[in-house]
Amino acid sequence: MNLLAWPILLPLVAGAVLILVPRPRARTAVSVSASLSVLAVSLAIGVRAFGGEVLVAQMADWPAPFGISLVADRLAAMMLVLSSATGLLTVLFAGSSLQHPPRRGQGPLLNRAREAFGAQSLLQFLFMGVNMSLLSGDLFNLFVAFEVMLVASYGLLLLGGELPQLREGFKYVVVNLIASAIFVIAAGLAYGLFGSLNMADIAVRLAEHGPDQRITLVALLLALVFAIKAALFPFGFWLPDSYPVPPAATSAFFAGLLTKVGAYALIRSFTLMFPQEELIHTVILVLAGLTILLGGFGAIARRRWRHVLAFANIAGIGYLTVGAFAGTSASLSAALYYLAHSVLVVFALFLVAALAERIAGPDYRIEGHLARYPWLGVGYFVAAMALAGVPPTSGFVGKYSLISALIGAGGDLRLWIAGGAVVTSFLLLYAGMQIWQRFFWGESDAVHQVRLPRPMVAVTATALVLVIGLAALSGPAFEFAQKTAAQLSDGRQYIEAVLEPRGRLLEVE
Amino acid sequence: MELFLPFLVALLIAVGVYLVLSRVLIRLIIGLSMISYGANLSILLAGAGVRQEAPPLLDVAGPYNDPLPQALILTAIVIGFGTTALLLVLSVRAYQVTRTDHVQELAEQPDPVEPPVVYADPERPSVSPEVGPGRRRP
Repeated sequence: MNLLAWPILLPLVAGAVLILVPRPRARTAVSVSASLSVLAVSLAIGVRAFGGEVLVAQMADWPAPFGISLVADRLAAMMLVLSSATGLLTVLFAGSSLQHPPRRGQGPLLNRAREAFGAQSLLQFLFMGVNMSLLSGDLFNLFVAFEVMLVASYGLLLLGGELPQLREGFKYVVVNLIASAIFVIAAGLAYGLFGSLNMADIAVRLAEHGPDQRITLVALLLALVFAIKAALFPFGFWLPDSYPVPPAATSAFFAGLLTKVGAYALIRSFTLMFPQEELIHTVILVLAGLTILLGGFGAIARRRWRHVLAFANIAGIGYLTVGAFAGTSASLSAALYYLAHSVLVVFALFLVAALAERIAGPDYRIEGHLARYPWLGVGYFVAAMALAGVPPTSGFVGKYSLISALIGAGGDLRLWIAGGAVVTSFLLLYAGMQIWQRFFWGESDAVHQVRLPRPMVAVTATALVLVIGLAALSGPAFEFAQKTAAQLSDGRQYIEAVLEPRGRLLEVE
Repeated sequence: MELFLPFLVALLIAVGVYLVLSRVLIRLIIGLSMISYGANLSILLAGAGVRQEAPPLLDVAGPYNDPLPQALILTAIVIGFGTTALLLVLSVRAYQVTRTDHVQELAEQPDPVEPPVVYADPERPSVSPEVGPGRRRP
C-alpha cells in the first residue's frame, strides 16, 4: 500500500482499538506505539519529499481529477513531521499527566475519568484528522478532514465537563460549525464553477480562465473559513479563552499545531489555487498584521500563563501569515521557518506551563520558584526568549528574516506591518518577563517541593531540546524553508505530480 | 425549480442566522441546523449546472445530472447529524451544570474559585502533595 495512507490509517485503527483496551497502562502503550509508527512513516515521507520529490497517492487508483488524491510536497511533509513529533510527545505527556493526580480535590478523579473515557482515543482521531488535512489534495476531502479533526477536538475540549470547559466549548463548537457550513457552501460553489474539486486540477483551470469575480467570491469564502480556523483577527475571538481550558497535553497540541493547520490550508490554497487574487492577498496581509498586534497586546493584558501563551500563539499565527502573504519568496521562506519555530516553541511553553501549574495551582500566586526548580526556570527562559525573538534563538532567525523581507518588499503597508512586528516582539518579551518575575523571581520561603512525574519532565525537556535544535540547525533549516518556498511559488511540480497519471491514462486510450 | 431553489436557500440561511442570533440554546442549535440545510441545498444547486453526456461508468445516451454533488451532500448531512447530536448533548449538560439555557448567562459564568494554597509550615516544605499540607477548604 502507498506510504501516504499510513499517517491517516494508523491513528484511525489505533483510535478504534483504544476504545476496547481496558487498562490505562495498556492504553498508553498502544497510543505511544501508534504515534511512534506514524512518526517513522512521516520521517520516511519527509526524507523523500525533502529530496524534491512530490509524493502522490490516488485513492483506489482512480486517476487524479476523478478520485481523491493525497499529496505530500515539502510543505505538507514538513507539517506532517512536526505534527507526528509533537503528537508523540502529546501522547506521552497525556499518558503521564492524566494518571498522576496533579493536586488534591477533584483533579485526580477527573483526570483519571478523562483517561478512562477516551482521551487517548480522541487524541489519535485528532492526529488522523490533522494528517489527512495536511495530505489532502482535494477540496472536499479537506473539508471532511477538517471535520474529523474538529469533532475530535470538540471531544477533547469538553471531556471532563467542568464549567469553564462547557462555557468555552459551546462557543468553540458553534463558531466552528458556522465555519464548516461556509466551507460546505464554498466547496459546492467551487465544484459548480470549476467542475472539479481536485486542487491541482482547479489550479490548472483557473490559470487558463483568467480573472473572474465569481472565482474571487469562492476564494473569499475559503479565505474566511481558513481565517476562522487559524484565528486571524477579527475571527480569532474564540481562541484565547478556549485553549486554556482542556487538560495540559491537549491544550499544548491545540495551540502548537491545530491552529497552524488553518494557516497551512490558507497558504496551500492561496499559493496553489488562487495566486492571482491580489486583492484577497492584500486583505489577508492586513488582517495578519492586525493579528500580530492583537496577540502582543493580549499577551501583556493577561495574567495566567496559559492565557498569555494563547495570545502569544495568536501573534505567531499573525507573523507566519504576514510572511506568507507579503508576496516575495524571501518573506515566504521566512514564514515557513517561522511556522516550524512557532509550532515547537508554543508547544514547549505550554508543557512548561503545565508543569508550573502542577507546582503552584492554576493561579501561580507564589513567587520564588527559581531556587527550587532551577531547570524549569532555565527551560522557561530559553523558550520565552525564543518566543520573543531574542538572539541567538530560532525566534530571532525567524523574525529577523521576516522583518528584513518585509522591508525589502517595499511599500508603506509592509513597512507599517514590519513596525508592528517589532513592537509585538517587545510586547512578547515583556509578557514573558512578567511571568518570570511573578513565578520564578523572589523569595522562595513559601514554595513547597512537588514531585513532578519523570515522564512529564522528560517530555518537556525533549520539546525544549527540539526548540534549541531548531536554533542550532537554523542554517540548514532555513535553506530547507527556501527550497519549500520555491516549490510553493511555482505550482507546476505539484500540479504535474498530481495530474500526470491522467496524461498516462489518455495515452493508453 | 431552479429559480425557486435559490430563494429557498436564502430563506433557510436567513432563518438560521435569525435563530443563531437569539439567546436560547435550543433555538441556536435549530438555527445551526437550518444553516447547514441551506448549505447542503446550495451544493445541489451549484452542481445542477454541471451536466454530463453519460454517467461515468455506463455507455448510455445523456444528458444526466452529475451525481457527485449528491454524494457530497450525503457526506455533509452525516457530518451535520453527528455535530448536531454533540451540540444537543452539550447544551443539556450545560443546562444541568449552570441551570440556565440563556446564551448570555452561560457565557458570563465565572470560573470556579480556586482556594488559595496555604502551607502549614514554610520552614519545612513537604516533599509530595499526597502527604504535604493541603488546601484550606472554603
